[in-house]
Amino acid sequence: MSVVSNILPYAVAVWLFGAGLYGIATSRNLIHLVGCLGVCQSATYVLLLGLGYRWGSIAPIFYDHPPGTPAVDPVMQALVLTDIVVGATLTALLLVLTIQVYKRSGSLDPEKLRPMRARQGSDRAEGSDRGHDGKRTVL
Amino acid sequence: MSAILPLLFLLTALSGTAVVLVRDPTRQVFVIAVNGLVLTILFDALQAPDVALSELAVGSAAVPLLYLVALMAVRNQLPGKES
Repeated sequence: MSVVSNILPYAVAVWLFGAGLYGIATSRNLIHLVGCLGVCQSATYVLLLGLGYRWGSIAPIFYDHPPGTPAVDPVMQALVLTDIVVGATLTALLLVLTIQVYKRSGSLDPEKLRPMRARQGSDRAEGSDRGHDGKRTVL
Repeated sequence: MSAILPLLFLLTALSGTAVVLVRDPTRQVFVIAVNGLVLTILFDALQAPDVALSELAVGSAAVPLLYLVALMAVRNQLPGKES
């Protein structure tokens, strides 16, 4: 029981990270991909809080406890707090980039994204494709 | 107390896997919100109430609203693309 309890936070963190990576690798929708990245971030929350946790300790708030009572590590909690805020910012940034990709290419499928090309080169080389792109740019 | 913590860890792994396995982004938004709630309960059980409060505000309210705004922006582009 004790060994399982010591290993379990790390095992759950590894499992969440692996599941998020599997989702990112097999995703066919960019919004779904950002959600899978959020699962990878929750793996870091579980890892950090599992590192700082001690059995039978109180929360690091000493308002109604005498000083010296065993408490969990407050440094890890500060790191997780920073991680949550950074994660929310990263999600917002990636969603904005996803909307921009949809406006430019008309698709949310990462498989249908083409490599970026120089604007002048595609103007002369691929006239028919260029007309299609121009129509989309007007919209 | 010592039995509820492994259960919460397993529940977290389960809900994270559910976020990955739900492929439709419109349905995934709700699963993300539920995942934020499960993480909130886990953090509270791990004696981190401030982190739990922040996760409740960010993970189960703010981030799903961001996904809804992104889905709305993508959906509003659809009629313009066809005309």
